[in-house]
Amino acid sequence: MSSTEQGTSSAAPAEPTTAPESAAAPEVPESFYYVHGKDKVVHKVSAGALQHSALIHGMISNLGYTEEQAKANPFPFENIDGDILQMVVDWCNQHKGKPTPPEDTNLPKQKEKLFDLVLAVNYLEIKELLTYCCKQVAMMVKGKSPEEIREIWMIPTDAEDEAAEKEAKKRAGKEAAGETAAAAGDAK
Amino acid sequence: MPIPILSLLTSDIQYALNCMEIGDLIAFSLCSKRTKHLAKSSNRKIHSICAEFDTGSSIAIQQQDDELFFDFDDSGTELKRRNGVEVWRKPEFTQSDWVAHFLSIFNKSMIHVLYIENIEISHLDSIKQIIPKFNRLEIGDLSSDSVAKMAFFKLAPIAVEHVVVHKNVFDYGNDVSKFLTQNLKSVFFFDFDNPFKLELNDLLKAKIENLTIQTANITEQELNRFLKIWMKSNHSFYRPKYIKLFLTKEINREDVLRGIKYYSGSHNCQLNRADGKTLLISIRARSVILEFQ
Repeated sequence: MSSTEQGTSSAAPAEPTTAPESAAAPEVPESFYYVHGKDKVVHKVSAGALQHSALIHGMISNLGYTEEQAKANPFPFENIDGDILQMVVDWCNQHKGKPTPPEDTNLPKQKEKLFDLVLAVNYLEIKELLTYCCKQVAMMVKGKSPEEIREIWMIPTDAEDEAAEKEAKKRAGKEAAGETAAAAGDAK
Repeated sequence: MPIPILSLLTSDIQYALNCMEIGDLIAFSLCSKRTKHLAKSSNRKIHSICAEFDTGSSIAIQQQDDELFFDFDDSGTELKRRNGVEVWRKPEFTQSDWVAHFLSIFNKSMIHVLYIENIEISHLDSIKQIIPKFNRLEIGDLSSDSVAKMAFFKLAPIAVEHVVVHKNVFDYGNDVSKFLTQNLKSVFFFDFDNPFKLELNDLLKAKIENLTIQTANITEQELNRFLKIWMKSNHSFYRPKYIKLFLTKEINREDVLRGIKYYSGSHNCQLNRADGKTLLISIRARSVILEFQ
């Protein structure tokens, strides 16, 4: 597992976190990159591990950073909680250079974080992990009745949906009216 | 801890729905209109949906290697699955709504098989309302004669493809013609214990396109007379395309074809009519197949 250290996205971290050593030492020196989430904790992750993320992989391909530059400019993911990013980094490290198995026993177990994890994984475009997470989401309602599913997945009733839709329409109407009034004021 | 699944991206929700078992997906679809729409959009593939009306009513969702059973009435549905029997209530749903819901979420245009067993005759009209379209009608052998007959006349015309009757309902001579003169696509009358008594007139009046009877009781002489009349009926329309009769006793091929000019093959023989129509006949020990071309 990677260790972490507080850092900022604007300044280079003094001693960034170290990615776990893989069991087999790489033959050529591996390049490392740095990412941080909302909590600004910087994680050092190998390029091999980051290949799981189509988003980061694309960013790396486009930037052509040297290790020093990468160190000085961690990728900021301000929309991802620190602990969630940690889970993602751990998963990427565990599956570095390995084909992902059909059933992943190394998946984070924290169900309460699952929702945020799905959002983060989707954003980072880590397809395999997203599939596992969604499987876990599906498992939450295995064998449950419609009423139980409604509670577990916080599904609004039709009446609640209709009320929310009305409210949204009303708000949109008010906003449109406000914009029209402002435009009329500008014209005068 | 609950998670607000509907706040996820649609693609993520669809990933999750794709991982769900059919029973869970159906439960999800019943939560609200939005979830029904999402379940439908998941395009989950199933083999077929069948309905059975007996003392109760049930729906079977058939997949390649599994089957889910729902006993349903106007107050709710009972689902039998691994963890026992569950009752799902949907007070606003009638039986028609349940059927429409199942068809809709699996993007099926109709019930694959409607199976009728011993029900009240008065129930037939409501079944017609509940299941307005189905591919195949099956009338079970435990149905009373009156139910079987009425089910045939009321429901067979709605069947898109096939009708299977698992009992001999031809009590009287007139009955046979009434059944066989229906303009239906494909009918299979099946009763081993009570063979169907057929005569020349029954075959002449038949209007079912694809007719199979197992087992039928007809003599070589009646078959021979039918073939002779068919040969003489130039330019007349005969609706059946295929008739297969499994017979109660072995028949003599020579007696069936006596006095008829035909072209012979290994198992088949061919009759050519003056108007260009042909009839392929296959006669085995206990079966006769007539293919009209």
